[in-house]
Amino acid sequence: MRRASQTTYALLAYLVLIPPADATTLTIVSWGGAYEASQNEAYFKPFTSKTGTSIKTLTYNGGIDQLRKQVESNNVEWDLIDLVVADNIEACESGLLQAIDHTLLPPSPDGIPASEDFLPDTLTPCGVGQVVSATVLAFNDAAFPGTKPSSIRDLFNTQQFPGKRGLQKKPIAVLEWALLSYGVPIKDIYALLSTERGLRLAFAKLDQIKPHIIWWENGDEPAQLLADKKVVMSSGYNGRFFSTAINQQLPIEIIWQGQLLNYSTWGIPVGAPNPLKAKEFIHFATDTQRLADQASHIAYGPVRRSSARQVRKHLASGTDIRPHLPTYEPHLKYAIKKDHQWYARTQSRINNRFTQWLAEP
Amino acid sequence: MNLFTRLTFLAVFAAVTGALASLAAIGFISLVGYLNNLLLISSRSRLMFGDGILLSVVTVAVPALGGLFVGLLWTQVKEQRPLGPADAILSAQTMSGKLPVKSTLLASIGSVVSLGCGASVGQYGPLVLMGSAIGSLLGSHKTGAKNMGVVGIGCGAAAAIATAFNAPIAGLVFAHEVILRHYSIRAFAPVTVAATVGYVMANFVFHQQPLFHINPVALQHPLEYLGFVVIGVTGALIAIAFMNAVLFSAKTATKLPIPAYCRPMLAGAILGLVALWQPEILGIGSELLRFSTIEGAFVSYELTILITLKILLTALCIGFGFAGGVFSPALLIGAMFGAFFGGVLDLFLDASRSAISLYAVCGMVAVTSPVIGAPLTTILIVFELTRNYDLALACMVSVVFANLVGYRLFGRSLFDVQLAARGTDLSMGRDKAILDHISLTQYVSQTYSRLNAKDTVQAVMNELVASDRTEAYIVGENGEYIGTITSIDIIKLTHLGSLQNLPASDVARHEALVMDTNTSIWQAMHQLEGFSGESIPVIDRANYKLAGVVYEAALVKAYLDAEQSVREEEHATS
Repeated sequence: MRRASQTTYALLAYLVLIPPADATTLTIVSWGGAYEASQNEAYFKPFTSKTGTSIKTLTYNGGIDQLRKQVESNNVEWDLIDLVVADNIEACESGLLQAIDHTLLPPSPDGIPASEDFLPDTLTPCGVGQVVSATVLAFNDAAFPGTKPSSIRDLFNTQQFPGKRGLQKKPIAVLEWALLSYGVPIKDIYALLSTERGLRLAFAKLDQIKPHIIWWENGDEPAQLLADKKVVMSSGYNGRFFSTAINQQLPIEIIWQGQLLNYSTWGIPVGAPNPLKAKEFIHFATDTQRLADQASHIAYGPVRRSSARQVRKHLASGTDIRPHLPTYEPHLKYAIKKDHQWYARTQSRINNRFTQWLAEP
Repeated sequence: MNLFTRLTFLAVFAAVTGALASLAAIGFISLVGYLNNLLLISSRSRLMFGDGILLSVVTVAVPALGGLFVGLLWTQVKEQRPLGPADAILSAQTMSGKLPVKSTLLASIGSVVSLGCGASVGQYGPLVLMGSAIGSLLGSHKTGAKNMGVVGIGCGAAAAIATAFNAPIAGLVFAHEVILRHYSIRAFAPVTVAATVGYVMANFVFHQQPLFHINPVALQHPLEYLGFVVIGVTGALIAIAFMNAVLFSAKTATKLPIPAYCRPMLAGAILGLVALWQPEILGIGSELLRFSTIEGAFVSYELTILITLKILLTALCIGFGFAGGVFSPALLIGAMFGAFFGGVLDLFLDASRSAISLYAVCGMVAVTSPVIGAPLTTILIVFELTRNYDLALACMVSVVFANLVGYRLFGRSLFDVQLAARGTDLSMGRDKAILDHISLTQYVSQTYSRLNAKDTVQAVMNELVASDRTEAYIVGENGEYIGTITSIDIIKLTHLGSLQNLPASDVARHEALVMDTNTSIWQAMHQLEGFSGESIPVIDRANYKLAGVVYEAALVKAYLDAEQSVREEEHATS
């Protein structure tokens, strides 16, 4: 079995090594900023140089509304989308994404099949995982000369830690953090958020800091808000905070307690213009080498175990990247594992509640 | 067996019992969790399913159909009811060491279905019963060691509690305080081993999280101890109301004009209908328990409604035949009461009180301890879950007062009152329980003078002289007891003249003290007071036939034998 899949892989590699004259262009939708830049280095450029296929990238802020519009109007322009897993599950169940056969994914270099090499839950019926990212709370170290914030509780403590807070204009992470700040154990968070009482409590907690919030929507904004001193602390993606701190030499500190683990996936829309090419890209971009490469450009953990073992240094700065990954062992102790199934089924209703709350005076 | 073999045997026996009881507990909890998600009982599955008519239909149908299933299940059980911790206590107290395997198995299945379908019952009772049954089964094999069944019951119960709460010391104390009710080295050592194995299994093999986690808190003001006293006293009153509700509901259920197997279905349907209004009332209520420890989770009147509903619906479910315990409902009722008390305190106090979770935990133990009759266990559970002195001390105060009030006004525990209703009074300690469970039958003697009603007094006299006895028993044609003739009677008759030809039936006196084959040694010993004869007639209650006699000396020996076996067990001399 293992030998057979190795042969397939060798064949595939052979085909990939001879760039055919190819005029197709893959349209890939991703999240922009430092994240997309890391994908460009690790996946897009190597793929183009090996296959000759050029890649056109577009940027979005998540969600499946645009995808739904394209599919329903039979006018799909995207070949590949980078989706958080909950969106992937929801889109898949709504019939917006194509099913993906995971047995065709290449094994690890030492022959471990993809199904065992990928972390649990990172292969979904219409998705293949890429990187583990985390929504974390970060603060400007210079803003707090005395006691430093050290836990999610401090996000809601405007007396001891005054100043504006940057938060994503979505219910994700803030609801979990609101309950966490009441002392709710991590394992109970989603059970409690599933009750009217739990939601009421979470929004009551958010009420306390509502006047201090500056909302952000694009993943690149939080680091910039901190850099521009518009906020003293902000939620955001750990990789972007890391990149900004390194590139701009900024004193951005990450609070790992309560980090919300998430991972991104590739999905192919139903009716995509180049589905075969898109699949070829996924097989290429999620092999051991490519996933490990991405972690040398941005502080996100690969979803393949074999890739995680290869990760060492951040290429641009030369720092050891491992303690900056969400999957670093000491950080995992206090991590909230995002309940993807829960989000996939409830996010539209939870979003409505959140929008209502935003509108309240 | 020599000492070394005996110790090794005990250790292995305890470890195996602990491991199996722990596995059973983990399996049970996982299965209930799986069913709760599948059948839309858990809050997460309900929200994910979405609102709508279908969810409402499921909310009523699932508990009702689950009720029908368990109702039908009990028709296959000899006892016609789910077994519970009370049966384990009885078995340990009478030193029988046995639990019926089939009934226990069916009770466990019934508990999984009850809890899985959202019945408002607890899970610790079934866990303790399963653990005890496993220990009893392992201990029943002929090994040469005495009373291994009883030791096994203690081991299983300890392992179950140690697993469920991640609290091995509480498990050890629970087995002694609630089940075994005495301390002996013979039981203490194996029970400790079993509790530890249960803890290790839960923590290091399965990485099972404790069913309830409490964050450490600090006491703000010494005067708050007064509040904990009030919580203790009031908590006991709530516990008494809860226990009486359970007993009343069980009594009412038998009077309803519906077949017994339909009762749980009715309870389930009512529960489902109430859940349409208050969905949090479904199942074990772990979300509510958590909310009780959070400041501001409830609007003031909500807690009164929820406490009342939880008491009534739990009483309904248990009384009408759902299988499950009273431990977790008591924890929840108590926690909500504690939170309520903390809220009330805010109305009167200007100064800041300690965190609401401290009050919730005090209320929790104040209600639970009188229900299960386990003050030390509840204090230790809190201490082991939090490792926090402030909290454990506050709980201690509440528990002590709660138990005092509960004991005075109700009894040692709900289990004891249930057992008393079934005819076993444990209030006099286990000596009485044991003596009460030894029947007179094995001490009935056939060596006595038995004559027919038509025999003459002369014949009776001849028989007494020949047999060297002072009492003769006269029976009728069918062997029924008519009366007794003593040597004194014959002397008196002789003194009066020639009455030797009278039939014995004319002379025989019916003794004031007659025992029957169902009399226990305990009853016999008490009836013996003021008795001055040689032997007592024992009749078969079914047909009034004379079954034999029992000699005073035999009764005294029976009493001493029972006492001896109890002392031997306590002092590890066997």
